[in-house]
Amino acid sequence: MYTFTSIESQIRVLSDYAFMLRDYELALSNYRLLSTDYKLDKAWKRFAGVQEMSGLCYFMLDQSRKDAEYCMENAFTTYLRIGSSGQRNATRCGLWWAEMLKTRGQHREASTVYFRISNEEPSLHSAVLLEQAACCYLLSSPRMLRKYGFHLILAGNSYYLSDQKQHAVRAYRNALFVYKQNPWSYINNHVHFNVGRWYGVLGIFDVAIKHLLEVIACSHQSLTTQSMFLNDFFHFVQSTGEKFDVYKLQLPVFNMSSLRVVNEDHRTYASNADVDVNESIWQELEEELIPSSSVVRTNWLDTQPKSSPFRNNKACVCVAGEAVKLNVELKNPLQISVNVSGISLICQLSTNLNASETGALTTAAEEDIASTKPSISTFESDGNNFTVSKLDIVLGGGETKRIQLEVTPKVIGILKLVGIRWTLSDSVVGYQYFEVATQKKNKKGKRGARRSLNTNLIVIKGLPKLTGYIECLPTKAFTGDLQLLTLNLRNQSEHAVKNIKMKISHPRFVIPGDSSDLDLEFPQCLRKHVQSDSNTVSEGTKENVKGSLFAFPQGIKIQGGTTFSWPLWFHAATPGNFSLYLSLYYEMESTTDIPYRTLRMHYNVEVLPSLDVSFAISMCSSRLQEYIVRMDVINKTPSDSFALNQLSCVGTKWAVSTLPSRDSISFVETIPANQAVSCFFKIKDLSTSSCIEAADGSCGSDIVLSPGGSTDVFDVSRTPITDFHYQERHQQGKLAKVPRGLLDFILISKAVAVNSSKSEQLLSHHTCHCSALSQNPVWWLMEGPRTITHDFSKSCCEANIQLVIHNSSEHNTTVRVVTSDCMAEKSQTAPSHESASGQGGWHDVSLENDIKAIASTKGTHSQKQSSESISPFVWCSLSSAQVDLKPDSSAKIPLKVCIFAPGTYNFSTYELHWKVHSSESGHVDENVTSGGGQGYPFYVNVLQGA
Amino acid sequence: MSDMASTACFVIVSKNDIPIYDAEVGSAPKKEDQAYQHQFILHAALDVVQDLAWATSAMFLKSVDRFNDLVVSVYVTAGHTRFMLLHDSRSEDGIKSFFQEVHELYIKIFLNPLYLPGSRITSSHFNTKVRALARKYL
Repeated sequence: MYTFTSIESQIRVLSDYAFMLRDYELALSNYRLLSTDYKLDKAWKRFAGVQEMSGLCYFMLDQSRKDAEYCMENAFTTYLRIGSSGQRNATRCGLWWAEMLKTRGQHREASTVYFRISNEEPSLHSAVLLEQAACCYLLSSPRMLRKYGFHLILAGNSYYLSDQKQHAVRAYRNALFVYKQNPWSYINNHVHFNVGRWYGVLGIFDVAIKHLLEVIACSHQSLTTQSMFLNDFFHFVQSTGEKFDVYKLQLPVFNMSSLRVVNEDHRTYASNADVDVNESIWQELEEELIPSSSVVRTNWLDTQPKSSPFRNNKACVCVAGEAVKLNVELKNPLQISVNVSGISLICQLSTNLNASETGALTTAAEEDIASTKPSISTFESDGNNFTVSKLDIVLGGGETKRIQLEVTPKVIGILKLVGIRWTLSDSVVGYQYFEVATQKKNKKGKRGARRSLNTNLIVIKGLPKLTGYIECLPTKAFTGDLQLLTLNLRNQSEHAVKNIKMKISHPRFVIPGDSSDLDLEFPQCLRKHVQSDSNTVSEGTKENVKGSLFAFPQGIKIQGGTTFSWPLWFHAATPGNFSLYLSLYYEMESTTDIPYRTLRMHYNVEVLPSLDVSFAISMCSSRLQEYIVRMDVINKTPSDSFALNQLSCVGTKWAVSTLPSRDSISFVETIPANQAVSCFFKIKDLSTSSCIEAADGSCGSDIVLSPGGSTDVFDVSRTPITDFHYQERHQQGKLAKVPRGLLDFILISKAVAVNSSKSEQLLSHHTCHCSALSQNPVWWLMEGPRTITHDFSKSCCEANIQLVIHNSSEHNTTVRVVTSDCMAEKSQTAPSHESASGQGGWHDVSLENDIKAIASTKGTHSQKQSSESISPFVWCSLSSAQVDLKPDSSAKIPLKVCIFAPGTYNFSTYELHWKVHSSESGHVDENVTSGGGQGYPFYVNVLQGA
Repeated sequence: MSDMASTACFVIVSKNDIPIYDAEVGSAPKKEDQAYQHQFILHAALDVVQDLAWATSAMFLKSVDRFNDLVVSVYVTAGHTRFMLLHDSRSEDGIKSFFQEVHELYIKIFLNPLYLPGSRITSSHFNTKVRALARKYL
């Protein structure tokens, strides 16, 4: 222990006096002397004190900076080492040290020292010290603003802990200058939230809310943090005791790029989804529908007719009494669901149509938006001029919703859509203005690519308007599905509309019906009636179908307030998704600003594959003008089964019947899912040969496949089926590029309903342009008695038979018939001989070839023998005949055979050679096709007569 | 803070001082209030990096700043993108290797023609790779 009188203490006093008298050299030497003594004695507190003083001496001498700092650091650490008793001394030492560094301009080091002291001090002291540290960073060169901000935040926290909220807010607010527009989101949120919260605690709510607004839309924070932010926000808002108006409230986020104004001028839409359809599709559809502009233009510069009320090119037109819709997307960035109520449009309606005044008005409003936040009350809904819709929704966490807002102007004038207003959780009113991309703004260098949004609408006088929908149009249908639909049109206005026309984009799928169809019961109306007049299809409708433009009967007017219905036939022609567009055109009874309007309807229909029908036609070898038809039907559905009802040939030219072997098709063709069925039929051309069978009705153009019998036959020559068939024929003809189709089939089937509650579903499949598989231009057939009774004892038998040759090609054909008595032998040997010699020269004859040749020659031998074994017959009338046949004509060549003994003969030993001459003489070489064919077997029994 | 649980916060800062990637890669359980504290420290350390980066030719600047027991190590790429790691462990070699491997990954991100330099790195592949590297070296 050093007492007051000890030598060390005396030296200390001496050196302190020397320091006071500014003899720093003397003071320093004494301090150094003391420090060694104290160090040896481990008197740390005294040692530190001496070190501190020697540090100051060095500083005052300004000799060695290093020594000064070394001493100060030594003193500081020693104070800290001795524990709590040295605490205050350490702080004091640190303050000296920092001051020292600051004097020398070492602000960075000074701030480090301040920071070190602050750790040892109670919160209020440390707050002051940290603020000092922050100031040092600001003064340092180069400036360290981020460090400054950080230490201010630390100081602010310390102030807050020591219950000095105002100082805390001051520190944070200073830090905000650094952290303004900071992309480091957590920092930003923390600062704004704390400033806001502390202001709230201090009772300055408006500033508190302003700061909290910055953080409430933070999507990156965790759920608890988000709810904490939001709770504090609403708490302060409620504390204000009034509804709070917030410009550009970020909750929820309105996606302004998704904004779309839907105004109906002369174009009206059946549903909201129809609006999204590309305008060009509609324009293309309506090309024939809309009358071309009749206004005479004086020259080509006059793009807009002078008399038009739509002088302002930019402005759109809307009709008084009809809602203008605005679609916008809004998103909740938080994970908490928020309650948004009273979403509505902010609008202005000026009833003065004077252009100059409206211009002034709009610019004024724009300036308002640009410069200040105008008071919201000026845009309160004006009940006399327009009404706006209000929408309440709840947005779940992270949810995005598309909403539709409406404003209905009531008087003529100019309607301006200014912005959107909404209420968040019944306490905060947010509002946002639409950014109007005007020329002025573009010039300033703002993004020029911004989508210009037209928010100025000219309101014109009320017009009649039709609304419409197609009743029970299926969204999913099987291929071939045939249905009767109803188009309902309603005129909601007081005035009548007239001259209604309709255009359908897919006449293959939907065709308008007849007014009488409306009361019919489907599908019973399609059944064949006994008294049915088959000529119901008028030529007029066919033409309409062709152009897909349908004009309603001239007399039809839809009076105000009435509903008008018109039948439509629907037929799902091909599988796939298709978009059906309908456009209705109507004119106003009274003269109005717009002479006509259109109603646009758009439907999406998914057509599922059902039955896949294909036909294969081959010629009947025994009869001319008859064909065997194989019908393959595959059910492609995964679970539904179909019952075949009837197969019909189109037109009166063809008769279809069952094969002779099966007199009646008694089996019921129900095709379960994923199964296939093949049926065979015979068809007959009625046009060339007069058919006796046609009269008795057993062979008509329809064949019933169902057990219901003839009562269940549908009439394919009646209006919907023929019209659809016409479309199918047109479509399939385009697809196949077949120049001339032979015949068309319609297969009508019924869906087998699982539950009987469903009404009967009818499917019709149209297969067009079927033709026979054989490509030969010439058909021939032997005709004659099959059995001949002859008394051979008297003479040899002469049988008269005839060969009927038909030219089915489109060109003149020359046919030569060659009969031969020993044809079989010749024809069989010739090819085999040729194949052997045709190659010429010497060649390697493999063993296999040899064997084949032998086999074939053996075959011919046996054939020859067999033909010889049959008693011979002789063609006796002629050996060769030649006929010229015109297209689609037939000729009969009489033949005579001389038979010498009874037996069974095959008169097939004749050959046909034909040559097709194309009609154009210039292309003879290319188009002359020739060919030949063997005779068909024709067996005749010759019996010995009495 | 226990011996086992280490704190580490990794941030990539673009040359415009905007964080383009951040990840808490420490083994210590994540605390809500730490996220902003780490950002504050790293953000403030940028002031120090600003001076140091031009004083050396090395990319790895070692530990440039400290706050209490948390150390900030920085690696500066040639394009002046800064990889900043806030950590409490001492293994300088591991941190250096970590930075070098992350640099390779970053170059791969940079080579992506669809990546706009200076924009936020959202690749989940990058994220998992960085976390795997952090487990390996830190």
